[in-house]
Parts: sequence; structure tokens; C-alpha cells
Amino acid sequence: MRRIVWLLALLPVLLALVFAAGCGGDDDDEGGADTSATDTGGGGEASGEPIRIGASLPLTGDFAEPGEAARRGYEVWMEMVNEAGGLLGRPVEMVVKDDQSDQNLVVTDYNALIDQDQVDLLLGTFSSLLNIPASAVAERAQMVYVEPAGGSPDMFNRGFEYLFFAQQATSVHQADLFSEWVTGLPEGEKPTTAAYVAADDPFGAPVAAGIQEQLEAAGVETVYSEIYPPETVNFDAIASAIAAEQPDVIAQGSAGLQDGVNLITALVAANYSPQQMFQASTPSFADQYSDAIGIENTEGIFFAVSYHVDAQTPGNTEFLEAYRAKFDEDPAEDAADAFAAAQVLQAAVEAVGSIDDQAALKDWLHANSVETILGTLSWDETGAPEQAYLLAQWQSGNEEIVLPEEVATTDTIVNPKPDWSGR
Amino acid sequence: MTQLIQTLVLGLLLGGVYALLASGLTLIFGVMDVINIAQGALIILAAFITWAIWNETGLDPLLGVLVLTPAMFLIGYALYILAIGWIQGKPASTSVILTFGLALVIEGVMGMVWTATLHRATPEYYNQSFTIGDIYLRKSQVYGCAIAIGVLTILYVILRVTWLGRAIRAVSANMSSAKLVGVNPSTVAALTFAIGVATTGAGGAIASVLYPFLPGSHYAWISRLLGIIVLGGMGSLPGAVVGALLLGVAETMTQTYISPQWATMVPWVVILFVLLLRPQGLMGQKLREDVAL
Repeated sequence: MRRIVWLLALLPVLLALVFAAGCGGDDDDEGGADTSATDTGGGGEASGEPIRIGASLPLTGDFAEPGEAARRGYEVWMEMVNEAGGLLGRPVEMVVKDDQSDQNLVVTDYNALIDQDQVDLLLGTFSSLLNIPASAVAERAQMVYVEPAGGSPDMFNRGFEYLFFAQQATSVHQADLFSEWVTGLPEGEKPTTAAYVAADDPFGAPVAAGIQEQLEAAGVETVYSEIYPPETVNFDAIASAIAAEQPDVIAQGSAGLQDGVNLITALVAANYSPQQMFQASTPSFADQYSDAIGIENTEGIFFAVSYHVDAQTPGNTEFLEAYRAKFDEDPAEDAADAFAAAQVLQAAVEAVGSIDDQAALKDWLHANSVETILGTLSWDETGAPEQAYLLAQWQSGNEEIVLPEEVATTDTIVNPKPDWSGR
Repeated sequence: MTQLIQTLVLGLLLGGVYALLASGLTLIFGVMDVINIAQGALIILAAFITWAIWNETGLDPLLGVLVLTPAMFLIGYALYILAIGWIQGKPASTSVILTFGLALVIEGVMGMVWTATLHRATPEYYNQSFTIGDIYLRKSQVYGCAIAIGVLTILYVILRVTWLGRAIRAVSANMSSAKLVGVNPSTVAALTFAIGVATTGAGGAIASVLYPFLPGSHYAWISRLLGIIVLGGMGSLPGAVVGALLLGVAETMTQTYISPQWATMVPWVVILFVLLLRPQGLMGQKLREDVAL
């Protein structure tokens, strides 16, 4: 009996491990797509030997859903380029491999793309996890590596010269526009205190730390700042402790959905509504978010995104038209990010006028900025982008882009956030 | 001071919900020596059924308990006939493997029927609170505690007063002697398992309102529940209540006064120390395996 009890004491620990290893694997039913998208599209006036562009994507495994979205983004780009006469007058051919969301396989894939398939150009894969090893392969081969998703600070502290991240900013700067806006409010409206709470993961913690640093620099006092384990379910005590401090701003950093929802529910129960509420990136889960917290309680909540279908960015209309025609639905954020990564590579090739000199391509990208459907992008010497994510806000049950003004979908910002309703 | 009382109240309410969810698990282990890893998945299944009924008909999840309890009883009985009955009398470790397999199957079925997206029943009161002075109590948790008291009382009465209860306790104490006085152990075991699973009807109904859930949510629950019944003493109903309240309070106190980062770890530290001092758990009974079997 005694032995059984000890064995049982260990069981929860084992289960927690199984859970940690298995989480995120629930929704991989999108996978199983063809692993080689080598069909050349329209043709147009493009002629001669095709330019071959290689990428490995997580088409199966944990990241299958975003991986498939990224594949679609690359494919739409390829077809649009070919219909418009190709790249440097030559047709484009994508060689896409499936890395099964596996760090070892992604390295094998990029080595094979370079050595066996001898592709002319590379495009990146999805997630920091996979891009960290894959970009090292490209760097060693001295090939330009534009990646669509992977903003961890660990990507950019290795002194790489050929790496470029095709979104607006690293995770530390995820909320820059929010921080700027909130600290720029006129006296009287400007917050004086703030609470920060973040999931203990590579994305969430840097986001919250980034906001905290910028608000503190502007004189906003930090009254609460805590990290919680990502599997935390019960936020009652956290919400109660935050409510006791009465902060003007509450900012949460988390890549997940449940923890963001549970914090809101606990804040509603505690009846504490801050003047400004920022969450990264739970509110971007659309209906799942609004159904879980109640659509009336979404009003005024801020979040950051890289792309919005209604954003007034250059080329977005054409991209949407082509994407909707091909897939009969709106593109996911990950598809748009992949499309933008390909646009970045395209801009460098067209500006340099040749694909033979990879060093010239990377020098051009370091020296110039590129117009993409995510807006204008430019990079520092590490390949980290220097822009800011779009600031979005839930308004009347819809997700709206509120800043920057040139791509905003509305010119109103709900401020201060209304009290929670339905209690 | 307000903060301290508030944290304590939040912890006790959380503990009350934990007690409700852990009651069936400890009953099944106490009588049958079966560690039902699938209990968490059955709670989520009950939550999904509650959600589906609420979504279709608007029936309040709390009233849904009246439908869910018999439904889960039947599911429990069927599971016993189809699977658990076959391993009766085998070592407890066998049941861990079997019920873990059952949990995975139930998770897979829920994923097929309801997809792996977040669900939640949101009746009017789901994020409302009662307030007493400066202290607030989440309505859904208060209702959960009330239902927990009801369910635990009914279980206690069944075990203490009815013939079935005496038979259950007889089988639990000494199976061979129970047979001698005319108790059919396999019938008793089937009924016990079904009753244990029936408690997930109430637990799942409350869980569907309290937190959003998806098919994979059961891992987080079962690990917490196993901790509770080990702490309280495996098989002891009062022990499960004490263990649940203790863990609920330990969790909220740590979140408030130490750091949320430690909150998932402190319960296990508590369990470790209790087991060092009292290996049978707080209210468990020491058994000598050589004579008990």
C-alpha cells in the first residue's frame, strides 16, 4: 500500500509532463498536404530557366496549421509573380519540403535544398523554434534567409548577416505602438500606475517586459508585475491582487488563449476594469475569444497584430483578391506573413538585378526598406525589423486596427475602456 | 486584512469545487483499488454535454446536473462492463494503464465531435459575483460548492445508511468475507464505478461554467485531483474534502503572497511533506496488504 501511494504521488508529475509535451498538438488536422509545391503557375511572359526557391515548412506536426498557412502564402506569391512576368523575366518555382515541426528535420531539409536540390534562393520556415537552427544552415552557406515567423530575441543575438525577419518587430517590441499611445495621452488622461502579468514562455515574458520598460521610462509606476506558469487555470487570486492595487493599465503577455480568457473572467468577477487593457495575443483568436469572455466584455481591449485583411497597406488588395480566388477564404495572419517574406526577397532580387551574388542581396536589404502587405519593413544589422506591430482594438464586437493611422480601419479609439458588463 | 480574507475565501471556494471533482475518484479507488485516470476526461465529457444541451436548449447548466448525473451513471456502468470489469482484482497499476487509454479515447472522441476549440457555457451568472462588504464570491463557485456539499452528503448517506453502502464498505474492507455473507463483489464494483462516474455529471456542469475547456483540458484536472486524493488519503471521502480545501487555499495564498510562478509547485511540496510524515495521507487508513487481501 505504501509503495502504491508513493507511486501515485509521482503520477501527477508524469501527467503534467505528458501534458506539457502534448499541448499544442490538438489541432493538427490541417496537415498532410502535398510536400512539394512545384507546379509553376500562369507563365505570362516569363521565360528561360526557372528560378528555384527552396523552403521547408512544418506541414505536419505541432505547427501544421500555421505551416500550411505559410505554404499558401508562398504559393499565392509565386503565382502572382509568374502571372506578372516572373522574377527578372524568369519563371519562379517553389521547392517546399515538410519538416514535420522537427528541429532536426528542418536542418536536414535546408541542407538538402542547398546541396542536392541546389536551389537559387531560400525562404524561411515557421516559428523561432525551427528558424533558429534553419537560419544557421543558411548562414553557413552564405545564403539570404528571410523568415516569416520567429521573433524571439534568441534569433538575433548570434551575429548573423544573412538573416532577415519579415514582420514588424521582435517580441520585446510587440506592443510599442500601445506603449507610445498610452504614454502620449494628455495629462489627466495619462495613466499613473500599471500592472503586468505574463506567461512564462519565450514570447509572453518579453512582451510584458517591453511594455513595462517603456511605461516606466515615461513615469508610469509599476504596482504589480508577475510571471505565471503557462498552464495556470485559476486566475482569481491574481486578479484579486491586481484589483487591490487599482492600476490604470493592465498588460498581459501570452501566446495562448485559455490563460488570457481566464484572466479576463477573474477580473470581471473581481469587478475591476482598468482604463486601458492590453493582451498579447489572446484577443486575436476572434470568435473563440469573444465567445469565452462574452462579446460585450471585449469592448476596448487592445492587442497587437502583424496583419489585418482590411489594412490599407500597399499591395494588400491584389493579395486578397488572389488569395480569395484560390482558397475561397480570407488569409490567416501566417499566410500574409509568408507572402510578405517572399515580397522582401523579391524586392532585393529585383533591386540587385541578379541572383548570383547573395552577399549583394543581403547588403541591399541591410541598406534599404521594403514595401510589403504588412507595411514598410527595414532591418538593423542583426536582421531584426525596426518597425512596430499594428495596434488593434475590439470595438462593438469587431477587431479594428487603430494605429498607425495610415493603415487604420477606424479613426476612433475607445478610451477609457468601459466597465465590464453583464455582472 | 481584506486582502487576506479575500484570498482565503477564493481558496476555500476553489477547494470546494476541487472536492466535488475529486469525490468520485476517491470513491472508485477506495472500493475497487482502481485508479481512474479517465476521471478528468469524463469531467470534460460531462462539461461538453452540458455545453451542448445549454447551447441547444438554453437549459441552465446547474439544472443540467439532473440530466447529466443519470447520463454519466449509465456511461460509467457501460465503461465498467466494457473495460474496467475485465481487470478487477488485478494490481492497481494495471488500472492506471487501462484508464489512461480510456482517457485518450474519450479525448479523441470529444475532438471529433466538438473539435479542439475552446468551449464554455455562459449563463447569465457565469462571471457575476456576490459581494459581502469588500469581499466578493464568484457565483459559479458558490453554486459549485453548494452542489459539492449536496453530492458529498448524498454519497455519505449512500455509504452509511443503505444496503448498497454497507455492501460497498464490506467489499472495500474484505472481499472474501463479503462474498461469504452474500454480497456479489462484481455487481457492487460495477455500481460503485457507475456512482463514481455519476459525480462527474455535477462536476462537469460546474466546470463548463467556471473555465473554458477543450478536449485536452483533462490532463490539468486529473493531475490536480490525484494530488488531492493522495493528500487526503486515498479512498477517504472526508480526506478528499480536507485535501481539496487545503490545496485550494495553498494555491491562492501562494499566488497572492509568494508569486503566481510558484503556485503550481507549492501543492506538490505540501503533498511531499504530508506523505513524509503520514504516508497514508491526512485521513487515509493504514492497511497491511498481507491481511487486507
